[in-house]
Amino acid sequence: MKIASGLLFCCLLIAHPSRSLGGDMVPEENIVEVPVPNDPTVSFRIWFAVGSQNDPDGKSGLANITTSMLTQAATQENTYEEILEKLFPLAAGYGGSSTVEMTVLSGRTHRDNLGEYYPLFLDAILRPAFKEEDLERIRSEVLNFLENTLRYSSDEELGKAVLYNDIFAGTPYGHIPAGTVEGVKSITIEDVKRFYGKHYTRENLIIGIAGSYDGETLGRLRGDLGTLPEGKPARVPVPSAALDGLTVTVVEKEAPATAMSMGFPIEILRGSREWYALAIANSWFGEHRNQSSHLFQVIREVRGLNYGDYSYIEHFPGGGGRMRPPQNVCRRQQIFEVWIRPVPNEARHFALRAALREYTRLVENGMTREDFELTKSFLKKYVLHYATTTMERLGYALDDRFYGIDGSHLELFREMMDDITLEEVNAAVRKHLQVGNMHIVVVTPNAESFREALLRDSPSPISYATPKPASVLKEDEEIQMFPVKVRPRDIRVVGVEDIFVK
Amino acid sequence: MKALFIVASVVLLIAGCDPMAETIFPYAYTTEILANGLTVIMIPMDSPGLVAYYSVVRTGSRDEVEPGKSGFAHFFEHMMFRGTKKYPSSVYDSLITSIGASTNAYTTDDYTAYHLNFAAEDLERVMELESDRFQNLFYEKPAFQTEAGAVYGEYKKNITNPHMLLYEKTQDLAYDVHTYKHTVIGFEQDIKAMPEAYEYSQAFFRRYYRPDNVVLVLAGDIDTRATMALVEKYYGAWEEGYVAPDISLEPAQAGGRTGEVSYPGKTLPILNIAYKGDAFDTENRAFVAAMLLSDLAFGETSDLYKKLYLQEQKVESISSSVPRNRDVPLFEVYAMVKEEGDLDYVRAQIEQTIEQYQTVPVDAKRLSDLQRRKKYSFLMNLDTPDKVAGGLARYVALTADIRCVDELYSAFDSVTPRDIMNAAKKYYLPGRRTVVVLKGARS
Repeated sequence: MKIASGLLFCCLLIAHPSRSLGGDMVPEENIVEVPVPNDPTVSFRIWFAVGSQNDPDGKSGLANITTSMLTQAATQENTYEEILEKLFPLAAGYGGSSTVEMTVLSGRTHRDNLGEYYPLFLDAILRPAFKEEDLERIRSEVLNFLENTLRYSSDEELGKAVLYNDIFAGTPYGHIPAGTVEGVKSITIEDVKRFYGKHYTRENLIIGIAGSYDGETLGRLRGDLGTLPEGKPARVPVPSAALDGLTVTVVEKEAPATAMSMGFPIEILRGSREWYALAIANSWFGEHRNQSSHLFQVIREVRGLNYGDYSYIEHFPGGGGRMRPPQNVCRRQQIFEVWIRPVPNEARHFALRAALREYTRLVENGMTREDFELTKSFLKKYVLHYATTTMERLGYALDDRFYGIDGSHLELFREMMDDITLEEVNAAVRKHLQVGNMHIVVVTPNAESFREALLRDSPSPISYATPKPASVLKEDEEIQMFPVKVRPRDIRVVGVEDIFVK
Repeated sequence: MKALFIVASVVLLIAGCDPMAETIFPYAYTTEILANGLTVIMIPMDSPGLVAYYSVVRTGSRDEVEPGKSGFAHFFEHMMFRGTKKYPSSVYDSLITSIGASTNAYTTDDYTAYHLNFAAEDLERVMELESDRFQNLFYEKPAFQTEAGAVYGEYKKNITNPHMLLYEKTQDLAYDVHTYKHTVIGFEQDIKAMPEAYEYSQAFFRRYYRPDNVVLVLAGDIDTRATMALVEKYYGAWEEGYVAPDISLEPAQAGGRTGEVSYPGKTLPILNIAYKGDAFDTENRAFVAAMLLSDLAFGETSDLYKKLYLQEQKVESISSSVPRNRDVPLFEVYAMVKEEGDLDYVRAQIEQTIEQYQTVPVDAKRLSDLQRRKKYSFLMNLDTPDKVAGGLARYVALTADIRCVDELYSAFDSVTPRDIMNAAKKYYLPGRRTVVVLKGARS
């Protein structure tokens, strides 16, 4: 199987150590190219195999802050003010994204401006200044994000963050990349320097380049990045995260509506035939921001309970602000995830039951032939929209390297839509989805009363402000009785101020 | 190389993409107007296999003139997905799904846009469906009322964001009679009452969803002549009859206004200083200069940004905007302040910066750097059919044309330091100002 033989480029490096040791060029096998001569721009994605999973104990958030200290701070050549001034007329910039397993420093410029742009971008990676005042500014922004934005300004993003933290608690995946309040407060310049020195090495990077670059630019890039020190940090083991039964975290918060997220770890990754089979079922059930998906139909379209309802078999951060999947957020351990956007507080129990009932029906019954055919046809063309820009294509090419996909995930996706059978889809559903073990996060006011309602498991009837067809009311009777059995010890109520603390 | 596969084929040739050219818009295009008034802008691009299709209705929350009906343009955008007698919503969804189209819609103050991205071979199917729902939308009262619930859910989802609350308060305070008084999603009490407005919704459709109020923008792998034949076939019978709303003009503001809003959660305080500006007009030199002034005075290379954000670190963020609107919008300066005690200081610094721009001409190099940046920024964002059509949507909503893009960028180039000073003196005056501060109740 493709995954087993090629997971992560680190394996490749170990297999060919002689290429990088003693040389001063980044070896050829660590370059991902997407040449697009007609594109007047040049795109870079420099990927370091580091992320929040590498944060040292007590220093949650260090990987993320280190990335910001490269991309939003001074270099040894220029103050941050000077950098902004030099980039300004070019309408170009660079940035960093540090997720659980990947850190990618990316930038794009019009080729007319490449000569002015290139040294600024490379200085950021090779010659950071690590100034105290930059750290304080960046730290303040991260703390504002954790303490104010995430806790208060979007209950659905809060719910998703708590879901991931809970499922992977106690493992290197157990905190969001932004970290924790205590972790972020404790980070010093020395921590950042040490972390940079350990992880930003020439054996720990992949060069991604795309657009209308030339051979000279690539050669220069290989040489410049080859000046990074040697070193290969040990791999962090894939976290094991087994759930036991139905567990619930209720986040107590004054909120005008109730946001919910739920899920469990799945043992499957992009690239295998089974993954594409499961992707078909997932798309039918809860394709992101797609009004024809099943869960959306049941909760929003028919009942008007909220703005949308979706499901995922891969991490999809920032879902509120994007239509299509992000790139370079890869993980070796994924979860199946359901996202119920805020519902009226009085309908929270009903909406939870509706979501779990539809999910259970999927697991027990699988897909119908008709839905299967329609969804395959949809996905085959829809994935064309996933990578329309050069920068997105480069992102996918790096992701292919992460997952050890020989060729292209998006190409394979389309091929599989002609190949996979309904039986395979339903077999993948039975194998990878299950109803017994799931974690649920509910962000809601009056948490204690919700806890009691869950423990009673008594009917949760719903009333609508406007008339509904008899067929809907009849189905409602089943939904309101749908059993959601949780043991008292498996419900945790937590105040919003107690999240992301340490 | 396998990695280049199919998506490689959608890569564009940005023909004639030259930042130094006289006209900035790099694609040849055709504009046609049908007898019923429907404007069609076609932009063939070398994007083999992909088409972006935007239907821009020149109606937004600005057009919600009746009391109690704020938010209706946005609500109506939701209803447009409820189908027709020929293609009920489930059939519409299923057909759109079968062709793998990426589809959505959004509503703004001045317009509503419905957009699809799909494979070129599906153009006729998409046009049949789109033209059908624009001409023959049909929904019954229960579906209408159910959708009102989804809209209220959207409001509740948004209002936990302090920026949304501040936007609501600022518009309400700054305007007395113009419909910019309410936000795009509308006043909460009006959203609650939406289920009762079924009949009104039908009148709304008849009044605004007319060919003489709609512009189609098609970009990508299209043949202009064949596309136009399809447009005639599917949109030709659509009856004109747009009724322009009677929007009350906002009288000149008599003196500054101040307000405060309390956010029920925790947040750093936010300061919004808003000035009544001017409507979009590329021939209005002061307006064009103000668009540049906003970047020069408050952008990330400004002295104020360096001082408050980088050196003193008193603000978490600072930004400004000069929006493009049909009527007089607010030109805003917006700062999230770290300590409540610094609010007055930050406000004074912003006002001092404005005074400086009113009296001292800007450095010519900074101005020319910005002019260069504007061009590259525009060109670098035209790399897919969706970005081209989507980037033009506001311009066509404002003018029913895209000639204004070249006019605007050409006007940017002619702006002088004196123009910048005049813009500062014209708009950024205490009498035009509304200042609103948001503070977190639990902070």
